[in-house]
Amino acid sequence: MPITAPVRGRAGRELAYALLMPLMAGLGLLYLLVVLLGVIATANIVGVPFLALCVVGARGLGAANRGLARALAGEQVAAPAPFRSRPGPLNRLAAALGDVVGWRAVIHGLVRLPAAVLAFAVAAGLWGYGLLLLSCPLWWRTAALPAIAPTTWPDALLLSAAGVALLLLAPWGVRLALVPERWLARTLLGPAPGAARIRTLEQTRALAVDDAAAALRRIERDLHDGTAARLVALAMRLGMAQEELAEADRPERLERARGLVDGAHREAKETLAELRVLTRGIHPPALDKGLEIALETLAARSPIPVALEADLPERPSPAVESIAFFCTAELLANVAKHSGARRAAVELRTRAGLLALLVRDDGKGGAMMDAGSGLRGLADRVRMVDGRLGIRSPAGGPTVVTVELPLHI
Amino acid sequence: MRIVIAEDAVVLRDGLRLLLASRGHEVVAAVGDGEALRACVDEHRPDIAVVDVRMPPSHTDEGLRAAIQVRRDHPDLGVLVFSQYIETRYAAQLLAGGARGVGYLLKERVADVRDFLAALDRIAAGETVLDPEVVTQLMGASRRGDALGALTAREREVLALMAEGRSNSAIAEALFLSYGSVEKHVTQIFTKLGLPPSDGDHRRVLAVLHYLQA
Repeated sequence: MPITAPVRGRAGRELAYALLMPLMAGLGLLYLLVVLLGVIATANIVGVPFLALCVVGARGLGAANRGLARALAGEQVAAPAPFRSRPGPLNRLAAALGDVVGWRAVIHGLVRLPAAVLAFAVAAGLWGYGLLLLSCPLWWRTAALPAIAPTTWPDALLLSAAGVALLLLAPWGVRLALVPERWLARTLLGPAPGAARIRTLEQTRALAVDDAAAALRRIERDLHDGTAARLVALAMRLGMAQEELAEADRPERLERARGLVDGAHREAKETLAELRVLTRGIHPPALDKGLEIALETLAARSPIPVALEADLPERPSPAVESIAFFCTAELLANVAKHSGARRAAVELRTRAGLLALLVRDDGKGGAMMDAGSGLRGLADRVRMVDGRLGIRSPAGGPTVVTVELPLHI
Repeated sequence: MRIVIAEDAVVLRDGLRLLLASRGHEVVAAVGDGEALRACVDEHRPDIAVVDVRMPPSHTDEGLRAAIQVRRDHPDLGVLVFSQYIETRYAAQLLAGGARGVGYLLKERVADVRDFLAALDRIAAGETVLDPEVVTQLMGASRRGDALGALTAREREVLALMAEGRSNSAIAEALFLSYGSVEKHVTQIFTKLGLPPSDGDHRRVLAVLHYLQA
């Protein structure tokens, strides 16, 4: 049958799925009865753990239905998060009784019954009648089915042709009849609504916590290795000068003291310069005056020329400004370090409640978001506030990085 | 004295070298990590090693571990561990291998040049020098409360100065006491901490260790 050839494999699997419906629906019905028993049993306190077991056990039924839908109906339903218990027997019980995924599987067992009946009836009817009519010339004379049995050869051949038509239609009919089944599997057997969002929030919260810890560690390291070490050296020089000055009546000691104070003075100025760089890295003071002004300073300090175009009618939240600033700083540092670009451009706009940042360079391209790369770190940072980071960087360039952040969080 | 320095911050390394050289000491080597410290102690056999706790590559307790190891390999070597933080655990680890000729000081103590150099001399002479901060932390630790509870306020002061490695006469001077009454306090401390009579100096170290060991 050339018309059905492209869908033959799929039609076969869908037919199998529809024909398995009585079995699956029957199992579901049986399980429903068990759950009902559990509900009734809660009249007695010992019934409560039994019901809890039933609810969590329904996850197994859901998983079986999900697997079948994937294997035969080609319906990709994401598995819900595994059951998460809480410490303590009472908490465990409460968690099991309130297991949304389990209850949804139970509900699926109930409401899928009409859908299953429909799928089975259509599949069995179309394929069954089709085959019956197709084979009409073989059996019409025995007249086993008087109601539809034809009386003449031409009639029999006509019915046979009708059978062919029915069989051609059957795959499409079955597919249509499976629509409610699929919809129910998708809606009730996947992750509960909000679960995906909660998962994202949990992930980004972990990122935010790690990021904050890493930032503190970096600041501590900078202060320890830089500023504190310099101050110790400075104090040491002054201490030595003090010793020399204790016997200042001897000219060579006075001279040594002067040399030490000179060194200490230089040390103090270098410490101040280092501290300035360090504090600007923690929070650039220009950011208090607004993102545009901070970015102007940043662009001016860049070793390659940066054209800045900023149009911000509305001021974003401070956290968003900070993320946008450090993204730009890191992206421009990447441009200077890796791209070999001669010039770069930064564009900043607001669009439908979003802050859109674009950093472009005319370098050699090939930037990638590998695990552990600076760009991956940036993307993670942006994700913390539900933002997005996109890279277009073909080999040979140019590289365009776009960052979208909500204006307010 | 012949001294090696292990310190990764260049400003401090150079500053220490200048300081020690100006006081007639010979800085035979100045290195930036624990591995190099072990190598140069093996090579130069110095009298004292001045070692920073936090050094590359791990930037955690590299220097401390190197210091413990060089002391094991060279029991006569004096070691001054210095650091920007005082961790009592580090002090305990350092002293676990014997307290003779060991010091643990905050880096900022180097600002008081005379005290710092005196500490080096004491370490070279086999004494133990602990930063006052170590003692403060130990005294403040609540888990030691019961043991310390037996000591009077005055005895604690004496113990604190003992932990810094001071002699009885130095303690007497610092607390404006007579030499005799310091001796009496020290004996009281030994008795209350249950330290057996033995060589006096050794008992002083034990009294301090008593608080360092959990």
